[in-house]
Amino acid sequence: MLNSAATDVSAANGGTEATAAGPPMLAVRGLTVEFAAMAGAAVTAVRDFDLTIQPGEIFGLVGESGAGKTTLARALLRLPPEPGRIAAGEIRLAGRNLMELNETEMQRLRGRDLSMIVPNPRAELNPLLTVGEQIATMTRVHLRVPSREARRMALDMLRAVQIPDPERRMGAFPHEMSGGMAQRIVIAIALICSPKFIVSDDATSGLDVTVQAQILELLRRLVLDRGSAMLFITRDIGITAHFCDRVAVMYDGEVMELAAREDFFFRPRHPYTVMLMAAFSHNQRLRRMWSRPEALPGAAEPAGACRYVARCPLAQDRCRAEHPALRELALGHFARCHFPVRP
Amino acid sequence: MPEAEATTGAIAETGRTSRLATLLQVARARPRFALGYVIVLAAVLAGALAPLVAPYSPVEANPAEFLQPPSAQHWLGTDAVGMDIFSRVIYAPRIDLAIAVAGTLLSAVVGCLIGAWVGYHSRGGGLRGWLAYLVMRAADVMQAFPVFVFAIALVASLGQSVQTVVLAIAFVNIPIYLRLMRSQVMTIREMRYVEASLVAGLSDARTIARHVMPNAMGPALAQLSVNVGWSILLTAGLSFVGAGVRSPTPEWGSMIASGFQNVVTGEWWPSVFPGLALAVTVFGFSLIGSSVELFADPVKMRRLTRDLAARRRERAA
Amino acid sequence: MRGLLPFLGQRMLFILPQLFGILLVSFFLIKSIPGDPAVLMLGPTATGDAVAALRTKLGLDHALPMQFWYFLVDLVHGDLGTSWQTTRPVLEDLLQRFPATLELVTFGLLLAILVGVPFGVASASHERGWLGRIANAYGLTAGALPDFWLALVLIFVFYTILQVVPAPLGRIDFAVLPPPTVTGFLTVDSLLAGDWAAFASAASHLCLPVLTLGLVNAGPILKMTQSTVERMLHSDYSRYEVLSGLPRGMVVRHALRNALPSIITIISVLYGYLLGGAVLVEIVFSWGGAGQYAVQGVLNSDIYPVLGFVLLSAIFSLFVYLAVDILYFAIDPRIGR
Repeated sequence: MLNSAATDVSAANGGTEATAAGPPMLAVRGLTVEFAAMAGAAVTAVRDFDLTIQPGEIFGLVGESGAGKTTLARALLRLPPEPGRIAAGEIRLAGRNLMELNETEMQRLRGRDLSMIVPNPRAELNPLLTVGEQIATMTRVHLRVPSREARRMALDMLRAVQIPDPERRMGAFPHEMSGGMAQRIVIAIALICSPKFIVSDDATSGLDVTVQAQILELLRRLVLDRGSAMLFITRDIGITAHFCDRVAVMYDGEVMELAAREDFFFRPRHPYTVMLMAAFSHNQRLRRMWSRPEALPGAAEPAGACRYVARCPLAQDRCRAEHPALRELALGHFARCHFPVRP
Repeated sequence: MPEAEATTGAIAETGRTSRLATLLQVARARPRFALGYVIVLAAVLAGALAPLVAPYSPVEANPAEFLQPPSAQHWLGTDAVGMDIFSRVIYAPRIDLAIAVAGTLLSAVVGCLIGAWVGYHSRGGGLRGWLAYLVMRAADVMQAFPVFVFAIALVASLGQSVQTVVLAIAFVNIPIYLRLMRSQVMTIREMRYVEASLVAGLSDARTIARHVMPNAMGPALAQLSVNVGWSILLTAGLSFVGAGVRSPTPEWGSMIASGFQNVVTGEWWPSVFPGLALAVTVFGFSLIGSSVELFADPVKMRRLTRDLAARRRERAA
Repeated sequence: MRGLLPFLGQRMLFILPQLFGILLVSFFLIKSIPGDPAVLMLGPTATGDAVAALRTKLGLDHALPMQFWYFLVDLVHGDLGTSWQTTRPVLEDLLQRFPATLELVTFGLLLAILVGVPFGVASASHERGWLGRIANAYGLTAGALPDFWLALVLIFVFYTILQVVPAPLGRIDFAVLPPPTVTGFLTVDSLLAGDWAAFASAASHLCLPVLTLGLVNAGPILKMTQSTVERMLHSDYSRYEVLSGLPRGMVVRHALRNALPSIITIISVLYGYLLGGAVLVEIVFSWGGAGQYAVQGVLNSDIYPVLGFVLLSAIFSLFVYLAVDILYFAIDPRIGR
């Protein structure tokens, strides 16, 4: 009951602007994911993570490989990659606390209210079923529509993700599709039940640049049309500049900086963000100034230190002694640094 | 140079100790693996110590005491001609284990050597490539045979003795190792280090011996234990139809066969006990096989260590 | 089904040389077994002349390659030679005995599938539960049991003690008239003839041998099902189905479907193997099957039954593998298209 009421609210809002009245679409508090190790302490991949995303918002999350992006994405569906487990935290989807649901309730929710777009889709699709069946299964299972109706909806969805000759493609098998095609299928599967929230994990990483642009545009329109919201996780900071309303960078399981798009790109405050942007620069002096290539990323830090201290060119004694909190430096602009860069 | 060696040595050292620690932890968490080693050890000891332990001669019949049920005098009873079953059961590993182990090892050595050679030359053309192709087709033919009939025919044509049973078992197992080794070597053959060795001027034979074989042995070794168990079954089966070891030599299969008629009339012990010993021994070998399989599979190993860590955490909480 | 015929044709191309190889090897192998059939047939009191005459009559005075050639020529004419033990044409003997073995093996394998596949799936989907443990234990135990011994134990329990099954002597009671032969399967033939007494007798004789073969061979099927389904459940697409919120039952069903090719393979291998491999069980139950016929042939230098059996089981395996190829083709859209 609560569920359907929430859907109505977000639909009434038109999905483009956040309202103070309704709950945020996704609210994450203190999420921590640990990986058990055979000997010694567990490894923490996502630590004390907070995130709030409003209806109609596309939120970009940037990080290098190993920053914990995929772990976070899958943990949001309460399925962290094995052998990880959620050690602490709360996930609220449109006000509903997911950590309190049992496994059956979670299963009904995945793909229905909260869906995921995966990278490398050709390996993710079942090789023995036609893509039409795989899309139709989603509505048959989650919306309980009869088979014929499910087929019609799948066909509509194939049109919506702009697959040429959709009638014929319904009967195609995954191995007969190109990477871009398969990516569209995975998007179709994620969106067909009109979920409230979509987690996209590196969805465009394997594609040609031109195809990538088409798919991003398509994704943006579909998400906004349906009044959903999306967490868009990527390694490519450039994509977020065109595509996302707000952007955050993640390093070693933590958000380092979070801001609205313009603030983020024009007034970065965290040395790590600056380094990521400088990496695109043609100015060699700038690049050298912000990076310390001799430092290994992900090297073990003392427990109380800033996670970025080993690679930070500005690191001082305090950074080694005290772990910085995520502070609001300007309205809606957060950074996790004792000595933020002046804008 | 010496410095570098010292560090790699240290790394190898820590690697070894942690692996040993893992091994012990796994053994504690999966006691059935330890059970496998215990069973096989017990079978070996029974065979080795049989002359000291056995209360009676394993081959001398005492017609006065035929088909006695298990009792204090004859722990497992006596058979139709009055031989003590317990003594025969513990003497039997001498024959059964010896045949199975010898046959398996022989087939592994021959199969691996041929397989390595074939795998090494499979992709090449010319006379060697053609010969490699012929060997594979011969292996196809051998595997298309009904195994059991083939083994019986081999024993029959070579003359019935322990040695020929070993040969027959070795022969029917060769294709398994041949195939395993061939596919491994064909993969490894493409590796850079093999090419580097050839470029550096080592001969084919040396390259195979130094660089290919050591890296390709894994799956074949993992197969050994299971294969020994299977060979014990085959040995017993051959004796059961009368094409293997002849009575009165103590051997589980022929003991089961000789008690066969008695079972129907209710004297179950002459057949049941040797069969039980046989089954337990084979069970032990398959346990060892599945432990080797686990250790060789990094994915399963990781899953197991994860489970163990989770269990430890639960216990702590 | 475009592409199926060339796919099968290619397979067939490899078969004929293989059949030839099998015959060649078995011919020379059996011929190298010491013992002269002529002497064995005539007994120890025969005169040298009589033996020589018989050798000429049987073609034994020719060189081995010539004998093999004559065998091949006869084979092409549908003549598999004569068994000196039964003094009947081998083809006739085999047509009678092969269905006996086939009936036993087929029902045994069906039981093995019924036990192995559901158990394997259950244990793969409850990896750490008690069902998984039982399945693991069963897989290891079943592989360790000698089938001829298990058969004896079952006879002891169900015949000697409980007396719920008939004596282990053949396929049907001596007092019961066997149904007219159509398929050679006594159970099927008696049903076709509407002869319930014959059916009951045949079925009760089948019980124990089928139970033996089923229990022992469920082991490898269970293991294969378990390991492949488990692998499939850890695959990318199963994980994706879980992420998409598909119910557990559906995810497992899809995993089983993806695992089917491996399961079918192990079943087909067992089918081919059991034709000769069931011989020990046949002996225990005096089944009078083809395997028993061949083993008697080997032990008595009776070459033609052995050759006939080897040939027939090779051809049978061939058909099994063809059926498997067609199944693969139907299951996996990536094959052969």
